[in-house]
Amino acid sequence: MDNYNNEYTGSKNRKYTNGEITVYWYPRKCIHATTCFRELIEVFNPRKRPWVNMNGASTKEIIRVVDLCPTGALAYKYNDQITDNDTPSALNGHETEIRVMEDGPLIIRGSFKLTGTDGKEYNNPKMVSLCRCGASMNKPFCDGTHSKTGYKGK
Amino acid sequence: MENNYSAEIKILENGPIQIKGEFVFRDSSGHKTTEYKEIYICRCGRSGNKPFCDNTHLKHG
Repeated sequence: MDNYNNEYTGSKNRKYTNGEITVYWYPRKCIHATTCFRELIEVFNPRKRPWVNMNGASTKEIIRVVDLCPTGALAYKYNDQITDNDTPSALNGHETEIRVMEDGPLIIRGSFKLTGTDGKEYNNPKMVSLCRCGASMNKPFCDGTHSKTGYKGK
Repeated sequence: MENNYSAEIKILENGPIQIKGEFVFRDSSGHKTTEYKEIYICRCGRSGNKPFCDNTHLKHG
């Protein structure tokens, strides 16, 4: 019934650790945006097995790139925050993350309810990108216009 | 049915984005917090307190 949670319980899910953090990999969520390996091939190399090498870069750098994953197929948690009964779905299934992109949109990811100005509900989207610059032709969503108008915004 | 979402997002007409509930908020410098329970994000591009709304949109229509 709930596809969103099923993606966290598949048998192909993997986790990788460097002792400090654990990176979770949910292949069913991946849309092959290629962000991870273009940013950090030393850690995320799809030609290698295992494809994630946690010794290839610093924890800080790994976190930076995991956070760039647009679909949430990659996630991480500090090991000292992981408890024995932590399952990937418990980590992520009911969380929402709001990210402000510098000079760009607001990205919302996770499990949330979105209601439009007319009261219309968007049923459980997994990720949306909302206009912050005021110039999108597809409001409330971002259509990339901010880069043409030179929008500046923290 | 039990709600299966942690946060509610409302787009306010001619106004900001209202976000209520439990969420991780990450600003443009990468700083994360879970302290906020209700925030309003500027949607007009003119707030003096970005990313938050400061009601500047009321002056500009």
